[in-house]
Amino acid sequence: MTAETGLALELRGVSKRFGALAALSDIELRVRPGERRAVLGSNGAGKTTLFNCITGDFPPSSGAIRFFGEDVTSFPAQERIRRGLRRTYQISLLFTGLSVLDNVYLACRGVSRGRFSFRRPRASDALMQTAEELVTTVHLQEVRNTRVSDLSYGQQRQLEIAMALSGAPRFILFDEPAAGLSPTERRELIAILTGLPGHVGYIIIEHDMDVALRVSERVTMMHNGRIFKEGKPAEIEDDPEVQALYLGGAAHG
Amino acid sequence: MAVLDAFDPARARDRNWIERVPPAYWVLGLLLLVMPAFAGDFVLYQIMGWTFLLGMIALSLMFLAGYGGMVSLAQMSFAGLAGYLVAIFGDSAITAISQGWPWWITIPLSLALTVLAATGVGWLAVRTEGIYTIMITLAIAAAFFYFTRQNYDLFNGFQGFNTILPPHLFGVDWRAPVPFYYLALFWAVAAYAAVLYLSRAPFGLALQGVRDNPRRMAALGYNVTAHRVAAYAFAGLIAGIGGILLTWQSSQISPGTIGIGPAIDVLVVAVIGGLRHPIGAFLGAFIFVLLKTFAVDVLISLGLSGERFQLLIGLCFLAIVFFSPDGLLGLWDRLRERGLRDPLTGRAKDDR
Amino acid sequence: MRAFANRHPVWSAILVVIAAIVLWLIFAIWPKGLSDAIGSKKIFLNALFNGVTLGGLYFLVASGFTLIFGLMRNVNMAHGTLYLLGGYIGFYTADSTGYWLLAFPVAFVIVGLLGVLLQYVVFRRMEGQDLRQTLVTIGISIVVADLMLWGFGGNFFNISPPSWLSGPVRTFLVTGAKSSGELVYLTYPMVRIVIFAAAVLVGLAMWLALNRTRIGMLIRAGVDDRDMLSATGARIQLVFAGVFAFGAGLAGIAGVVGGSFQSVAPGEDTRFLLASLVVVIVGGMGSIPGAALGALLIGLAEQFGSVYFPTYAVVLTFIIMVVVLAFRPQGLMGRA
Repeated sequence: MTAETGLALELRGVSKRFGALAALSDIELRVRPGERRAVLGSNGAGKTTLFNCITGDFPPSSGAIRFFGEDVTSFPAQERIRRGLRRTYQISLLFTGLSVLDNVYLACRGVSRGRFSFRRPRASDALMQTAEELVTTVHLQEVRNTRVSDLSYGQQRQLEIAMALSGAPRFILFDEPAAGLSPTERRELIAILTGLPGHVGYIIIEHDMDVALRVSERVTMMHNGRIFKEGKPAEIEDDPEVQALYLGGAAHG
Repeated sequence: MAVLDAFDPARARDRNWIERVPPAYWVLGLLLLVMPAFAGDFVLYQIMGWTFLLGMIALSLMFLAGYGGMVSLAQMSFAGLAGYLVAIFGDSAITAISQGWPWWITIPLSLALTVLAATGVGWLAVRTEGIYTIMITLAIAAAFFYFTRQNYDLFNGFQGFNTILPPHLFGVDWRAPVPFYYLALFWAVAAYAAVLYLSRAPFGLALQGVRDNPRRMAALGYNVTAHRVAAYAFAGLIAGIGGILLTWQSSQISPGTIGIGPAIDVLVVAVIGGLRHPIGAFLGAFIFVLLKTFAVDVLISLGLSGERFQLLIGLCFLAIVFFSPDGLLGLWDRLRERGLRDPLTGRAKDDR
Repeated sequence: MRAFANRHPVWSAILVVIAAIVLWLIFAIWPKGLSDAIGSKKIFLNALFNGVTLGGLYFLVASGFTLIFGLMRNVNMAHGTLYLLGGYIGFYTADSTGYWLLAFPVAFVIVGLLGVLLQYVVFRRMEGQDLRQTLVTIGISIVVADLMLWGFGGNFFNISPPSWLSGPVRTFLVTGAKSSGELVYLTYPMVRIVIFAAAVLVGLAMWLALNRTRIGMLIRAGVDDRDMLSATGARIQLVFAGVFAFGAGLAGIAGVVGGSFQSVAPGEDTRFLLASLVVVIVGGMGSIPGAALGALLIGLAEQFGSVYFPTYAVVLTFIIMVVVLAFRPQGLMGRA
């Protein structure tokens, strides 16, 4: 098997079956480092399953996944995290009893050494500093000491992003970060995404065509567990097939 | 009560530690320090002493339940085990069993074995989740209780041990009311500070992360099981210290100390106080001890038999879990929140 | 069963060997050396019978507990209280009317109704809040235990079964042979045998009802997937209340049985709550066959333990629990 060099993420013939149901069939995907990619498709197109395969939450039934040239197909989720892969979740999986800062701190510490420590971090602690910076990056500095359960929904989504940014990520998977956000919060989200450092690539799953096209350089269209189109945002937007399928299949989007 | 809200760890992080201690702590601390000057022996030894010790055992449960999300009913068993071990290795009236070793071997050895036992129980209990933990730890507590009652070789069966006395260190009789008060106070404050410190250390934060979302913690690279088991070990240490002091206080240990009733009492204490903050354990213990000491008089004055103590405590417990799942601390929080709201608009008066 | 044998050949072989040894111990006339080593066959058979019948009693209590937990994820720590209440109700019914049999339906109905009350007042208001349910039911058990102590006093009561049941019966099992060659048969209290048979019947009926009837299917579907149950449009609250009533009623009946076997007294509530907990931990939460297996194991362990190693009887039960937890945390018959 020849691996194309210089790719951040490479999926070859990835399939995932749940019993008789083929959630993903024969997915081929190549993303360059630093590239911003959007994955569009109606509900049940297999987008979240695709993420689960990439992160290792559910390994694929067949096919291979390479992350920066390394075959990670059989790696557990935390090994992939250690190599710089991050994701956000559609449903909130935050630590609701802790403060915003503590959530980010835990995420930072998870990928560092010495996770098991009984010593309190000082305010000058490097990880604590990083966590503070990340909280500022996602515009949550005002509420950094608030318990997550007291945050608004939009703030929780922003926090998800901060956690995904922790510990020098090289590539991030965003699972519908704009879902349920107000127009203001969406603008904020777009600002956060476009403001990410240039070397951090990502894939974003998004129902909102508007958001997706503004934060991505390339777009991949999925339907029924297959990829059926890939191109620049403008090409996709004007594609009649996409329009028929997407606008027809995602009335709620 | 102002102690409860005074400590906001996140807000206090930027200041140095002297400034960080809120004023209410100074007041309470001073009050507790000078208490022997005006309080009688009964109050010092029975009420306050017992409050501190019971509070420590409840604190060990609060640590597990509040930060780790694991409600263990075996905490009284760990306390009792430590007490038994001190009696077995050290001195008691049962000379046939007690080894009579010096205190500097007996106490560390007893605590070490207790921590070991707590680690083992933790390892078993964390194999299951949530509600199962309660059942398993209750079953373990019951097994230990019946075992001590049946076993005469090691635990001296139904009788247990008596005349277990603290060592005469620095020429002080530590069972005299005032020294014992300070001894109990010292360890209670130490345990309280340790729990508070750990709750903000990476270990404590990770434990709370595990409580909120074990799967994500695992995905982040944390060892969920290790954190949970370590929490049991630490809680076992606190319960063990409390247990040794409790054994000295009553100078005896027997199966009655560690039965199902006492095991549940610890849960009652922790829940009445509130599992959200370590102070809840001592608050609950104080109320429990007051009830236990004075309920008989109250009941008799109400025309009921003094035996109905269990009924009273049970009803209190029921009322609290029914109306305020966060215990008295939760009640306090809610009252304060209401106080901060403008009565007309219902909005917060100030943006704190 | 064949699937199990294929998957775990070693375990199956071990189980077959154990079964063979036990059968031999039961039916053979023991050689003298064996009796000298571990005591007479009569002691062994008595322990076996006591263990099995005690297991029947544990099953009656624990099956209600496990059914309620399996369907509703409700942990009813007041289950032991329902048991003891059933015992007192049974005692007063039998005592005042003179009809032992009448104690069963009365205890079943009254305790069942209390179960419905519990479901409506406590569990429905706190759906999904495991810890709160546990705490509230612990509180209820503390309060009711004291109320019962107040009302019924601290005495031991014994529910005496009618004369046609109370005598011993001669079984077909041989305990030994006299020197004359005449065989000695084991005698055993009739009432225990009858009650054990009744427990088996109840268990079978429950199993059949769960597996063969529509409502049973509904309940099992609910155990597997609670969302599905509400999706079927079944009147879910009615099913819940019904299951709660039945589970509580079983605890009530078990109380009468326990009162006839042993005694009704304060403290029995905790004892049977613990027994139920251990049985379902060993057998697997929410599984009726698991409750049967767990009850049998624990009953036997207690009886054999108290006969052959009296000081460590409790430890035997505990060891069973620890071994199960260590190797199969979900219980013997529980789902992974």
